[in-house]
Amino acid sequence: MKFIVSSSYLLKQLQILGGVINNNNTLPILDNFLFDLKQDELTVSASDLETTMSAKLKVDSDSEGKIAVPAKLLLDTLKTFPEQPLTFVAEDNNTIELSSNHGKYALAYAQGEEFPNPVELEDPSSTRLEGDILATAIGKTIFASGNDDLRPVMSGVFFQFSSEGLTFVATDAHKLVKYSREDVTANQSAEFIMPKKPLTLLKGILAGSESEVLIEYNDSNAKFTFDDTELVCRLIDGKYPNYEAVIPKENPNKLTIERNQFLSSVRRVSIFSNKTTHQVRLKIAGAELNISAEDVDYSNKAEERLTCSYQGDDMQIGFNSRFLTEMLNNLTSDEVQLEMSLPNRAGILTPVDGLDPGEKIIMLVMPVMLNN
Amino acid sequence: MDAFYASVEQLDNPELKGKAIAVGGSSQRGVVAAASYEARKYGVQSAMSSVMAKRNCPHLIFVKPRFERYREISQRIREIFLEYTDLVEPLSLDEAYLDVTENKKGNPSATLIAREIREKIKERTGLNASAGISINKFIAKVASDFNKPNGQKTVNPEEVEEFLEVLDIRKFHGVGKVTAEKMYLLGIFTGKDLKTKSLDYLTEKFGKSGAHYYNVVRGIHLSEVKPNRIRKSLGAERTFNENISSEIFMLERLENIAEEIERRLTKSKVAGKTVTLKIKYSDFSMQTRSKTISYYISGKELILEIAKDLLYQEKMKNSVRLLGISLSNLNTDKDKITSEEKKEVEVQLKFEF
Repeated sequence: MKFIVSSSYLLKQLQILGGVINNNNTLPILDNFLFDLKQDELTVSASDLETTMSAKLKVDSDSEGKIAVPAKLLLDTLKTFPEQPLTFVAEDNNTIELSSNHGKYALAYAQGEEFPNPVELEDPSSTRLEGDILATAIGKTIFASGNDDLRPVMSGVFFQFSSEGLTFVATDAHKLVKYSREDVTANQSAEFIMPKKPLTLLKGILAGSESEVLIEYNDSNAKFTFDDTELVCRLIDGKYPNYEAVIPKENPNKLTIERNQFLSSVRRVSIFSNKTTHQVRLKIAGAELNISAEDVDYSNKAEERLTCSYQGDDMQIGFNSRFLTEMLNNLTSDEVQLEMSLPNRAGILTPVDGLDPGEKIIMLVMPVMLNN
Repeated sequence: MDAFYASVEQLDNPELKGKAIAVGGSSQRGVVAAASYEARKYGVQSAMSSVMAKRNCPHLIFVKPRFERYREISQRIREIFLEYTDLVEPLSLDEAYLDVTENKKGNPSATLIAREIREKIKERTGLNASAGISINKFIAKVASDFNKPNGQKTVNPEEVEEFLEVLDIRKFHGVGKVTAEKMYLLGIFTGKDLKTKSLDYLTEKFGKSGAHYYNVVRGIHLSEVKPNRIRKSLGAERTFNENISSEIFMLERLENIAEEIERRLTKSKVAGKTVTLKIKYSDFSMQTRSKTISYYISGKELILEIAKDLLYQEKMKNSVRLLGISLSNLNTDKDKITSEEKKEVEVQLKFEF
């Protein structure tokens, strides 16, 4: 087995794939990249058993072979090279010899057969969408997902595909984001919960990409295929909470405000908030929004006044400033609307402008009860 | 105080002296708040409906209550108490516990102090008071009813056991009609009967109160006289001019009640966690439904929200004559709010998945 490849091209692909590899694997073989060479096509795979990602690289070769190469060693070496052709030759003594303009390096490899095979999806359904749309959907939702081991379903993003559109939902029980696209549809209705790790990888690779992504899925696995890359992962098993039920239907109090201004105020005021609840208090009367925070333990307090456009009864509501900033940060619109009903009901944050046709974002955040 | 509201009325209006009067509304739906002793002879009792009172005593005179006036007199009486001790725990406008173990007059006899206080009350307000004197609040309270009206009863430490043994079970403070009936069914008619029952037995039959009964009948009641009684609940209720059978109309009334509660909460600067809805049906049967949430509330919207849930929780059994809302589990309960809980006062809410 022998092949020649550009160093930077290989590094770029391996760095992406390296994201799959866990830092401490119980199974040592998973510390490797699998190199599967068939003439001028080299398929490199990385896996953590839950997620397996592979990419096809064009190389200069006329041989075949399948070996597992230590990932960290290889990546560390590649990072140091300026762009140049590298020659890989698998020797008989279980080492692969790498030759560069500078010299020679030998890495011990393991047999390719030891590497776990990726899951084959049986009887999958499929949907296609543009890479950037998927990356956006992930980016808009993933931050709202939870980390609670007791509710694993909430640690992922819920994908809901139907002939009417695609919906992506994430929640940690305090905040919730629902991102929907009516301009992209699926032939069959399907619902599944994607774990965070593969989504983070996909988001990184697909941001700004115009390539088409083929999503195939069944009850237990999903597969994402685009360009020369393939990602197969296990889905989170379980029933996603009925999120529609918690979206308040009647929200008579509507606040519209410039997003950046709101965000900077909340950020500033939150510095003075209680260190455990991070509570900021919004008091709205007429066209004035009063944002305040207080840390009684240290006698720190802050208050800012903003003008806004407001319809509804005067009200007071408390929110965790972290959630508010995360959400406001994640939006890109110039103006946002915050809809509210009661101080113990979720506030609904939506962008007023800047959406693509067919795109819809709704963010919910549960209040922190004010202690009057 | 003996027949407090009624006595005040008789005092202020000499024409009523010696007559059967009842303080309360005389209308179809009125209730007797207090009855003079002359009326009590005819079986008129407080909390009795005015219609029934009138039936029992046709010449009964109804007088509208004037709570401002009662409060004023109550204040004057309280001033007298404070001349003797600071440990005064008011139970209502006309009742209070006094701890005179150490008193400002240095008088070692509680019996004599009681007599003095009663004389002073008579002198300054013209009203009669009764007193019970004993080793703890429970026995003192029971004893105060013993020589009513205008009398007093001392139960000395060595008499406590006997006093309680012969006491009718209904006379035990805290034993009402329902508990009394339950006790009768268990063959408990006097303190002596009660004493034969084991602690386990009473706890099994009466829950937490069982232990209370077990102790008090042995003369053990360790509750101190607390001068600053902490408010435990706050509520408001309305009796309607006509019985209501539709929830829609009830909602309207609840809104008014919630508003009133909000006003009272703001006034006393408290908030609570438990909302209780009280429903009195046209047949005078009562029902309460309550819900406790994890955070303190004091706004009318939230109170109304929960009251609404409680209202719709179950169908009404009958048309309704009275609705009330009360808020308990208040944040005044200082012992309960440890530093840890204080931090929890600001609660991050969650979606109810």
